[in-house]
Amino acid sequence: MTGIGRRRRFWRWLLLGAALLGIAAVAVMWRPALAPATVMPRFEPGLVERGARVAALGSCAACHTVDPARPFAGGFPIETPFGTVYSTNITPDARTGIGGWSEEAFTRAMRNGVSRDGHLLYPAFPYNHYARLGQDDVRALYAYFMSRPPLAAAARANDMTFPFGFRPLVGFWNLLYLDGAPFRPDPKQSAQWNRGAYVADALAHCSACHTPRTALGGPDDKRFFDGGEAEDWYVPALNAKSPSPLPWTREHLAAYLRTGIAPGHAAAGGPMQGVAENLRLADPADVEALATYIHSYLVQAPARATPATRPGSLPAPKADDPDLDRMRLGHQVYANACARCHDAGRAESSGTALPLQQAVALYDPDPRSLLHLVREGIAPPDGEPARWMPGFGAILTDEQTVALAAYLRRYGAAQADWPDLADRVRKGKQ
Amino acid sequence: MSFELQVNGKRHTVDTDPDTPLLYVLRNELALNGAKFGCGLGQCGACTVMLDGAPVMSCIVPVSVVGARPVRTVEGLGTAAQPGVLQQAFIDEQAAQCGYCIAGMIMRAQALLDQHPAPTDEQIRRHMMPNLCRCGTHMRILRAVRRAAGRLGKGQAKGPA
Repeated sequence: MTGIGRRRRFWRWLLLGAALLGIAAVAVMWRPALAPATVMPRFEPGLVERGARVAALGSCAACHTVDPARPFAGGFPIETPFGTVYSTNITPDARTGIGGWSEEAFTRAMRNGVSRDGHLLYPAFPYNHYARLGQDDVRALYAYFMSRPPLAAAARANDMTFPFGFRPLVGFWNLLYLDGAPFRPDPKQSAQWNRGAYVADALAHCSACHTPRTALGGPDDKRFFDGGEAEDWYVPALNAKSPSPLPWTREHLAAYLRTGIAPGHAAAGGPMQGVAENLRLADPADVEALATYIHSYLVQAPARATPATRPGSLPAPKADDPDLDRMRLGHQVYANACARCHDAGRAESSGTALPLQQAVALYDPDPRSLLHLVREGIAPPDGEPARWMPGFGAILTDEQTVALAAYLRRYGAAQADWPDLADRVRKGKQ
Repeated sequence: MSFELQVNGKRHTVDTDPDTPLLYVLRNELALNGAKFGCGLGQCGACTVMLDGAPVMSCIVPVSVVGARPVRTVEGLGTAAQPGVLQQAFIDEQAAQCGYCIAGMIMRAQALLDQHPAPTDEQIRRHMMPNLCRCGTHMRILRAVRRAAGRLGKGQAKGPA
């Protein structure tokens, strides 16, 4: 055989290989457009109503509604390690929303993360969860969104870091993380537990935030419910690693999910506030089921001796504290600014604040949530009664904020120092 | 305890408990009665003053955390005889009904204008959100801020420091 013949064969195989790779890549990354729907079906009022409750369980509004006066018009920025994704308009506006979407196109978006025109949606939209929805729930959601008032609101351009602006890459994410398996009930568990599991996994997508993500942004299922992050807040673990200083009862959890408030626990803050706001509108039986399911994980948390069981004001720093100056400053800020509401020895009521030794943010593995709470406070949603706390961001200096958080961690929660505290305080201000 | 405060460019020494709200010190010790006590919980904004350039609700600021940071109150913007630009704009727009919220409104607005001399309506609305007015003079307050912004934008002097 001549050298030329070998070389020819080599090139032939290379071309064949490249062509096959190309076909495989297209198969992974390319999806066809679906024809726009021309006539909108009319929906049974009962189906629309059911869709409203399903949408509440999925907290669709938490990301798709920015201005309460313009529900589901999109525009909410979701910051990810790969860039900022803006939620889109899911009202039936023909030009800027999903007005031209058939039920087939809607179903494909929900289950496969593909827009009607064929472009791949970013997994900030949790279609890897919705893939496990029953078709009756998908149909109810379709009926609900298609009967909302259409609002004109063009999608904001996403701000992705290179190379993630190239949407077809999401096809490879889907290979790794989009499993088309339907929801499988666990026959060993009760019907209520299984309903809760379905709601949590396929609809409420709890694990999207409560489970850590891999470097590729997929769910790290080996660490299911180990705690994650959302919008720069630490999101608590819901299993044996739960940071909660007091054990959760199922009843308290159900109340918390519905109202954002439970006795002995911090009020829902940060992204969880929006979840409670949505669950308030869901079928109460479904929220009970959700509580049963989540609580079956939370009971894995071992009983711990924490300062949370000892009511009363937090102590002054010990005279031999190795970090005495900072602890004194932290204690001073606590005593003069926080204690007025948090440790005034009042009985618990809707108007009083939590004793800080019961605040879960003090027990988190990092200080992000505590810093958000101290700086921004908690404001209830417009027109809703809920816990309220003023923000101290402009009142405390960085030095005072670091000292306060370090003091609360040591004397409020009796936990080891946060090594990244000063860094987080500096970063959080940017 | 003794605290040294810098208010409207003047140094003051006050003797009081460390958890005394800055609002009480301003009103009771320094006779600066512009800032008002509304809710005492940091919810209404009637007590808004500027701390190191940022608007704060002085009823929840313990005097002990102020330190050397400058405090600015509505009295620092001008006098009845010589009102500052923003104060004059509030007068021109007759932006007060009962007037209880106005000192706080002016100080929150001043903080905005110091940072953004020509804010958009959206910026003004978002920035003024924490401060409440129960008379319903919001539209006049917005106009006053817009009016002051227009003047400041044309290169006229800000209120005296």
